[in-house]
Amino acid sequence: MTVFGLAVRTLRHRAGGFAAVFLAMVLGATILMAFASMLDIATGDVPGAARETLVIMATVVGGWGMLLVAFAVVSTLTLAVRQRAAEIALLKSVGATPAQLTRMIVGEAVALAVVSVALAVAPAALAGRGLLALLHDTGQVPADVGYAFGPIALAQGFGITLVASVAAAYITARRTTRVRVAESLVSAEVERPRMSKKRIVAGGLFLALGLDLAIVTVTAMRNAGQETMATAGQAAILASFGLAVLAPGLVRGAARLAGGVLERCGAAGDLALASLRGRTGQAASVVTPIILFTGIGTGTLYVQATENAVIARSGLAPEEGAETIETLNLVVIGMIVAFTALMLVNTLLAATAHRRREFGQLRLAGAAPGQVLGAVALEGAVLMVTGVLAGTVASVFTILPFTVARADALVPDGGPGIYAGTVAVAAALTLVTVVGATRRALRVPAVEAVAV
Amino acid sequence: MNTSMEEALRLEAVRRVYGSDGNRVTALDGVSLALPAGSFTAVMGPSGSGKSTLLQCAAGLDRPTEGRVYVDGAELAGGGEAALTRFRRERIGFVFQRFNLLPTLTVMQNVTLPLKLAGRRVDRRRARSILERVGLGDRLHHRPAELSGGQQQRVAIARALVTEPKVVFADEPTGALDTRSAREVLALLQESVRVYGRTIVMVTHDPVAASHADQVLFLADGRLVGRMAAPTAERVAEHMTRLGELVGV
Ligand SMILES: Nc1ncnc2c1ncn2[C@@H]1O[C@H](COP(=O)(O)OP(=O)(O)OP(=O)(O)O)[C@@H](O)[C@H]1O
Ligand SMILES: [Mg+2]
Repeated sequence: MTVFGLAVRTLRHRAGGFAAVFLAMVLGATILMAFASMLDIATGDVPGAARETLVIMATVVGGWGMLLVAFAVVSTLTLAVRQRAAEIALLKSVGATPAQLTRMIVGEAVALAVVSVALAVAPAALAGRGLLALLHDTGQVPADVGYAFGPIALAQGFGITLVASVAAAYITARRTTRVRVAESLVSAEVERPRMSKKRIVAGGLFLALGLDLAIVTVTAMRNAGQETMATAGQAAILASFGLAVLAPGLVRGAARLAGGVLERCGAAGDLALASLRGRTGQAASVVTPIILFTGIGTGTLYVQATENAVIARSGLAPEEGAETIETLNLVVIGMIVAFTALMLVNTLLAATAHRRREFGQLRLAGAAPGQVLGAVALEGAVLMVTGVLAGTVASVFTILPFTVARADALVPDGGPGIYAGTVAVAAALTLVTVVGATRRALRVPAVEAVAV
Repeated sequence: MNTSMEEALRLEAVRRVYGSDGNRVTALDGVSLALPAGSFTAVMGPSGSGKSTLLQCAAGLDRPTEGRVYVDGAELAGGGEAALTRFRRERIGFVFQRFNLLPTLTVMQNVTLPLKLAGRRVDRRRARSILERVGLGDRLHHRPAELSGGQQQRVAIARALVTEPKVVFADEPTGALDTRSAREVLALLQESVRVYGRTIVMVTHDPVAASHADQVLFLADGRLVGRMAAPTAERVAEHMTRLGELVGV
């Protein structure tokens, strides 16, 4: 059987494990192509100002969307491959070379990406139509400019999704397949305890870029109007990415800090702590979307609230184009919130479903279903707090420089309600999903769950 | 009833039918038995004869379709999974072919886990002495992945014994082990019966393993079809061959 044949068979038999990757790709490609189709529209007969709006929409918003999508694909694919560590070790033990395994994993990713993008075409065209309608309604694009979905949207959708998938698959595959067989067979379920140098460098780089934009905001962009907002907004996005890349380290730190409290929570606390310590990688992939959600969401919302307040206080008419920026901002917020929220649910479902065997073992050791739920909820709470705190730190990269530059203040407008709301949504999504998914996993009889 | 013939396990006409209309499988077809406390019983039979099902029904891991199960004089709890868990905690220990140790917990944590889950006082000294008895006194802080199969199974036995259960059920406990590790595991099981008065029910395919027990029960097509006291490996092997011919396996 060819390696590609093996890849296709694996996909067919492990549909469950790849559902999260698949969803990330379909949603990601939908967002990518919806924005890219603005460029398709702009190639038609469009007046200058409207064309500019369309191009900004596609490049600025679409550019961030692209990074977000790449991040989601990398994160879900890493989780999916890690969950198959045991299977990969087995394949190695029967003679598969690292090169063959890498080809298999990359092949799977390519197959998934192609199918996902194809499926995303219809919803993307629909979403693109919605975006255009928004621009029509706000008068930024004349009503007689019609919708177009063409080669640019398709090329970007396929191109970016494929490149992100192949890169993510390749990196993950190399990491997984280079471990020696004996080592990977025994430690398939417990992972290495340290972050790689490359990861630390990458995370540091994102953070440094975020910091750079923050500094630029208070210095060069001090009175640059809308530019100030755009520059400041990107600082939180970059900082969120940086902290998300460093998530394994954050989880380890959280486990150390929460250790004392968890140890006093009985058996459930012990189990939560052991899981945080022994399965850092899985935990980190859950923390990632929480950081992005909190960091980017809070940052953008406060910046918009402060901008509105500053304009209202100045008593002047809003600057020309402010409307476009606000629309863009709201679209970004909406897109990011929806996407990261879905990724959060998606990742949690995949991570929890994979723990069926572990839950079965716990029950055989005498855990009542309620105790398993308790342990998982505690663990989820620690991850949620970790993600929210990191996201809060990331949002400061945007909020502080912006309020200093635009309003000469340290505290943004908008009140504590925005923050409370964001945190509440993050908490609710995390806990409801974790408890729901665990409940489902517990419905399988314990003996059956461990027999997998 | 506190005589030497105190009863540890009783099954009355237990039936277990899997599946629904169309594809029913009768895994257990009216099994009745009674085992005295402090006995070591092996269960043998061809593949698919219902051994694992018997063990799971007797151990409260599965509910019989019909019939009754009593462990240490108490009938298997009705009600939900939580009630069943409480029932098992107080009376039953398990050992599985695939160990089922929690990979993220150390040896010591794995062994004390059932006590913690039951909200009982965790006596580390006693847990350590049990681990010393199974020969792992120097591996307390290792993770299961750092131990050999035989060592992992010994941890599993220590974990099964730590709650001082009335009955320990073992499903092919030596199935994944080499001869020497298997012998060590069997010796430990035997010791827990002779010295500490536990009752053990062990499913096995290995006549040598079965010969460590006081008696062997033979199962075929979900029914008890034979019993052998004071078994030896040769007699058990011979009986199994005949049984195989009988049911055409
Ligand atoms: N969950 C299930 N659903 C349907 N049928 C089952 C289920 N579990 C077991 N069976 C069937 O019940 C019968 C008895 O199975 P059981 O696992 O008890 O056999 P066993 O004696 O332990 O076999 P082995 O020696 O191979 O472990 C078999 O025919 C099996 O296919
Ligand atoms: Mg069996």
